[in-house]
Amino acid sequence: MKKIEAIVKPFKLDEVKNALTKIGVQGMTVTEVKGFGRQKGHTEVYRGAEYKIDFLPKVKIELITGEELVTQIIETIERAAKTGKIGDGKIFISPVDDVIRIRTGERGKDAI
Amino acid sequence: MTSFESEPENAEKMQFELGVTKNGLIRTKNQIAQTVSTYSSPREFLRQHSDMADGLVRKAFQNAQSQVSAPSVCLMAIGGYGRAELAPHSDIDLLLLYSSSKKGELPPLVERILYPLWDLGLDVSCSSRSINECLKMAESDLHIKTSLIDGRYLDGEYEFFRNLYGLFMRKILHRKVRDFADALTKDLSLRHKKYEDPNYALEPNIKEGDGGLRDFQIGRWIIRAKYKTDRWDSILFPDHSRSLEKSLQLLWTVRNQLHLLSGRKQDDLTFELQEKISPILGFAQGTQGIEEMMRQYHLATQRISNFVHDILERAAHEPSFVKKAFSFLQRRKIDKNFGMAYGELYLLDPVTFKRDPPQLMTLFEHSQTYRIKMDFRTEEAVMESLPFIDDRFRTSSEVNEIFLSILRKGEQAAGILRKMHELGLLSRYIPEFAEVEGKVHYDLYHVHPVDSHSILAVEELENLKKGLYEKEYPLLTSLIRELENPGILFLTALLHDIGKGQEGNHSLAGAELVERIGTRMGLSAKDREPMVFLVNRHLSMLEIAFRRNLQDEQVILHFAHEVKNLHQLRMLYLLTFADIKAVGPEAWTDWKNTLLMELFLKTAHFFERGGVAEPFVKRDGIIRKLRESLDPEIISEYADKLPDRYLSRYSSNEIAHHIEMARSIEKEILLVEWQVEKEIQAKVTVCTKDRYGLFSKMTGSMFLNRLNILQAQIHTWEDGTALDTFWVEDGTRDIERRLQQFKKDLKTILSGRASLRDLLLDRSDSNGIKQKIIPRVPGDVKINNQDSDFYTIVEITAEDRLGILYEITQVLTDHGCDIHFARISTLGNRIVDVFYVQDEWGEKIEQKQKTDRLKQILLNRLTPQEEIAPKDPS
Repeated sequence: MKKIEAIVKPFKLDEVKNALTKIGVQGMTVTEVKGFGRQKGHTEVYRGAEYKIDFLPKVKIELITGEELVTQIIETIERAAKTGKIGDGKIFISPVDDVIRIRTGERGKDAI
Repeated sequence: MTSFESEPENAEKMQFELGVTKNGLIRTKNQIAQTVSTYSSPREFLRQHSDMADGLVRKAFQNAQSQVSAPSVCLMAIGGYGRAELAPHSDIDLLLLYSSSKKGELPPLVERILYPLWDLGLDVSCSSRSINECLKMAESDLHIKTSLIDGRYLDGEYEFFRNLYGLFMRKILHRKVRDFADALTKDLSLRHKKYEDPNYALEPNIKEGDGGLRDFQIGRWIIRAKYKTDRWDSILFPDHSRSLEKSLQLLWTVRNQLHLLSGRKQDDLTFELQEKISPILGFAQGTQGIEEMMRQYHLATQRISNFVHDILERAAHEPSFVKKAFSFLQRRKIDKNFGMAYGELYLLDPVTFKRDPPQLMTLFEHSQTYRIKMDFRTEEAVMESLPFIDDRFRTSSEVNEIFLSILRKGEQAAGILRKMHELGLLSRYIPEFAEVEGKVHYDLYHVHPVDSHSILAVEELENLKKGLYEKEYPLLTSLIRELENPGILFLTALLHDIGKGQEGNHSLAGAELVERIGTRMGLSAKDREPMVFLVNRHLSMLEIAFRRNLQDEQVILHFAHEVKNLHQLRMLYLLTFADIKAVGPEAWTDWKNTLLMELFLKTAHFFERGGVAEPFVKRDGIIRKLRESLDPEIISEYADKLPDRYLSRYSSNEIAHHIEMARSIEKEILLVEWQVEKEIQAKVTVCTKDRYGLFSKMTGSMFLNRLNILQAQIHTWEDGTALDTFWVEDGTRDIERRLQQFKKDLKTILSGRASLRDLLLDRSDSNGIKQKIIPRVPGDVKINNQDSDFYTIVEITAEDRLGILYEITQVLTDHGCDIHFARISTLGNRIVDVFYVQDEWGEKIEQKQKTDRLKQILLNRLTPQEEIAPKDPS
């Protein structure tokens, strides 16, 4: 099992979510996050006062999946979240040791 | 341990002792539930259920007394059971009173009473105390004191009961009423804190929550203690007590259903149970019915909450005799109708409101001005006077002027509005507001019903203005302080969801209502216009900020177009803030604000400077005109792809022609058309697919053919079609041939058969134009990152010469600049070229190091050179 974390631009969330649902992803966790990478923040000026936008708002999508879907999920996220510009985000993939559904105690893939 | 727990036959025998089995008891309960409709007369159900329990408890008590020898005792029902209000799975609280010396002999008796009842599945608890213990504990323990208020004699020694109650009332309940009220107030606020979590607003606890059944009991207890009567309704207006009774009925109905449906003491009205109960209570199926039921529910709890706060207030603040005696010292007249005493506002003459209804509004103005509450009699007078609020009141300029000034002051306006609403005045004055009273959304996001949400929105604006959020949101704080007339914004915040009482799109419906309300209040068109706009579009700013790409100039342009001016933009940002913040404590986040702030700032820049924005385009108008010459199918294919800036530059005939060109480049790689004017000038239209460095290739091919570029318009459509227009000049009157050759060269280059550099090298010696001697123009390069939110603007002044545009664009392309828009102008021998560029990431070029370098290289290139030496590829 793998955990896939994708950081995408906020306005791309619906697109990514729909694309993932279409390929059969059943659940995901979405968090509003802030941060910066190569796309640094910037300063805006309004009436002489500076307003700093240093951490840029992004959305983090997390999902756990079996190995067989990993490639397809990554491709889907890439396609849906891409604008071709800086700040499109990143995808992280990491191994997951085990999953437990609290209500039933099911473990492993059944619990995803 | 007793034996029957492990021996079923014995247990059966014990159950039978009471003449009923566990299942039999459940059947009986259900029978009562069926014969006494639990929703038309919930109290009747409670009473019958309690009677049934009485029978069982008495029987258990009598059996127990016959089985063990025990001293004489008195059996009492206390708490809710004492009031004979027994919901299907409520606790049965008992109290055994005994004479103080015989305590040790009690436990066997208690066991005998309790076990058979427990075995029937009843939640029975029993405490045994002597009369003195009871009194002592009641003095120190609030809970015991309140449970005793509702005590009821069941069986045994009646004398004990009579003694206890005589002493309890005289020595405890009727004494220190004010302390009692304070303790209850503390208890109430502590309990509410526990249920403050927004989830409880969505799934309220019917017993412990704000305005729940426990709150009502508190009110009743105080009345009992202070007015020495059990008839709580006797101290209220008949109208008031009737509506309170109706609210209680609803809560009881719902609570009975909660218990029956879940089969246990379930007091949380969860989503699941809301769904099940609403059809049983006769509400429509589905979401609509649930929302209506919850609306009624919230109205009911609101009434109960008002009732208990009112009673607590009276108990805590009513002046003592001593104070009353010296009251003349503290009295002060405000005007001919109102006075102040003990820090409260009161009405001098009870018939004032009848004689002069607008005084109702004045009363609230005083309450705001002097920052004092009105005393409860005045509040009652307001409620009594509601029928005098008619259309004449609503259209009275005096009334409206006062109302608006309350909002305009922006101090405690929300508190005043809340009071007006509580007393029913707001809904009489603005009848449209009654439609959203208690209206809830059946979802997880909207915590508050629409009416409280709207008043909260006003409060959030007030907090902002007061500077409560100055540290976190300095921009919003300075925006609200800039507003000339915040009253209009406050009024809009109050009314922004008014359309939620209507069918269909609530923003649209709300805008219509606001126009009507505004007109009725006598607001000028200048004030009404932004209100109608704001209500209509109150969701659009957050939709765009959260769902659209703010790096896309078109998005900002369209938004700016929609908002029309900076004033409305500011109000919309403020309203959006208040609206989200008033949804619930977790709805507004810094994350959301960052996006909203960015949208605000970018749009504000458009209004303040114009940015790259051309005059706004009437898009629909142009598209309509295109229908005259084009197939509707083709139009719908292209309509969304044409940028505003492009549309603003060409007539609809030209656009129609361009679309036809664009359609044919599907087959051909390049289309070039021209019209020659005055033999030496031509307007050249080039249509091809956009690619990196295209502009430089075009200007290079023109340079190859000695065509001097006078002006250029470059546009890229959303589908990647590049549509560029050049005005060129050729001094040798050979323009037609040169253009033919230009077309051929560009085609060769674009198809990759030869590179521009090779062609330039080939022909570099065939320079046929002699330079005239003319005044020099010094070169200048300005790189500007301020004037556009999306592009770096490169402004170049230089002496004109053949090929200069090619050289400039080549430098730009070599430095990773993607040219989006160019304005080329030639003034005599001076060129002033402006390029809007982005880096290959679609961002502005902001690093000083990069801009300095770009500037230096451009400056070097501007100085005329002896020969054209295309850059060495190494």
